[in-house]
Amino acid sequence: MKKIFLLFIFFFTTGFPQAVKQNEINLFSPANIKKFADYLFCSNDYLRAALEYEKYFSLYPNDSVKFKIATAYSKIGDYDKSALMFDSFTKSSELFPYAKMEYFKSLFQEKNYFRLRSSILNIDSINNFRFAYQAKELYYYSYLFTIDTLPPESIYLAHFDKTDIRQIKNFYEWKTDPPHKSPLLAALLSAVIPGAGKFYVDQVADGITALVATASLGYLSYTDFKAGHYFRGWLFGGLAAGFYAGNIYGSAAAAQIYNVKIQFDFENSIGVFINAKNFFTPGINFCK
Amino acid sequence: MKLFFLILLFTVQVSAQNNGQKWGKANYSYAIKIDDGQRDFSIDSKSPERLVLKSILDSYWFFISDVDGDNCSFSPTCSNFFLQAVRKTNLVQGTLMFFDRFTRDMDIYNKFDHYPEVEDGHFYDPVSLYTLNKNEIKYIPPSVVIKSE
Repeated sequence: MKKIFLLFIFFFTTGFPQAVKQNEINLFSPANIKKFADYLFCSNDYLRAALEYEKYFSLYPNDSVKFKIATAYSKIGDYDKSALMFDSFTKSSELFPYAKMEYFKSLFQEKNYFRLRSSILNIDSINNFRFAYQAKELYYYSYLFTIDTLPPESIYLAHFDKTDIRQIKNFYEWKTDPPHKSPLLAALLSAVIPGAGKFYVDQVADGITALVATASLGYLSYTDFKAGHYFRGWLFGGLAAGFYAGNIYGSAAAAQIYNVKIQFDFENSIGVFINAKNFFTPGINFCK
Repeated sequence: MKLFFLILLFTVQVSAQNNGQKWGKANYSYAIKIDDGQRDFSIDSKSPERLVLKSILDSYWFFISDVDGDNCSFSPTCSNFFLQAVRKTNLVQGTLMFFDRFTRDMDIYNKFDHYPEVEDGHFYDPVSLYTLNKNEIKYIPPSVVIKSE
């Protein structure tokens, strides 16, 4: 009985894997690669989906798969690659207008605003373009991120939806007259009253610290000189001068940082506004 | 015969476990990692003023700072900031940057609102923000945690 049992286990363990191998399905057939890529794509695993689609695309190139590869790259933030792929669609393709619009979005998200504007202007007839309205919106949004002079307000605002006008007007006004702080004025203020330049750039606590440090060291220096302690007088006087001059310099630097910060916040708020409108949701949903 | 089958059985079963790494020895190191990037005691002889400054800073680090402990709330520390500022600009501008940094270090309010934190808990405040070159300013919001300097 034991012999039979051991023989059974032996044949089972050695024979079973062979049997499985014979019935094994080909997981790497083109159809299965595409199926797997579709699964990854709809599971938001875009990097692996793009790699699987590329395998399939090398065997059976078609526009639908190319669109998915480009969308996957756009989703993972590789806008350089997605723009390149979306731009490669020919006019004869059914997906051409969608790909063109996604191409514009990729350029926008890549912050390649100059190329975006020239590409939109190069469309044969913008008014006949299926997504002309969205393309024009992107065109005018891009002005908010560059140093180029904005078009006149009436022309600029005419290209946006009425419900968005109020917010767009705020962006326009900010961009034409940004509330920047002058580094020179900040330095001058700190030269008159230590710390005042920091107050000007909203660094109140830093300003108070600079004022207290300069004033107390200056006072110590004054009293030491008065008492005939010249070494201590020069020591505290030197430190007071260092804090005073450092604060003038630091106020100018703080004004520059303030300007960069408000520019960052401004661009961030535009990004939040555009995202809230689902502007960058892909034009075609492949995972219905 | 019985022994032969038993050996064969176990050989087949054991060889099926081909994931040998699973049973491998884990190479853990329990040593505390010391960030010695902040302490470079080399001699800086590129200019006389830098040689003097570096010597003073080396002495300060060796006799005072390392004994006193990790007390500066910023990264890089004030002494490192001073050294980097002088290397990036010049002695005069670097000194002004240092005095300004020292003022900001003494300010105990609102640091959380102004500076992003490095993973080790220090406030990130690099020299590049204060050189008065606008193009060098890369603003990082305070909400961001810096992975490594």
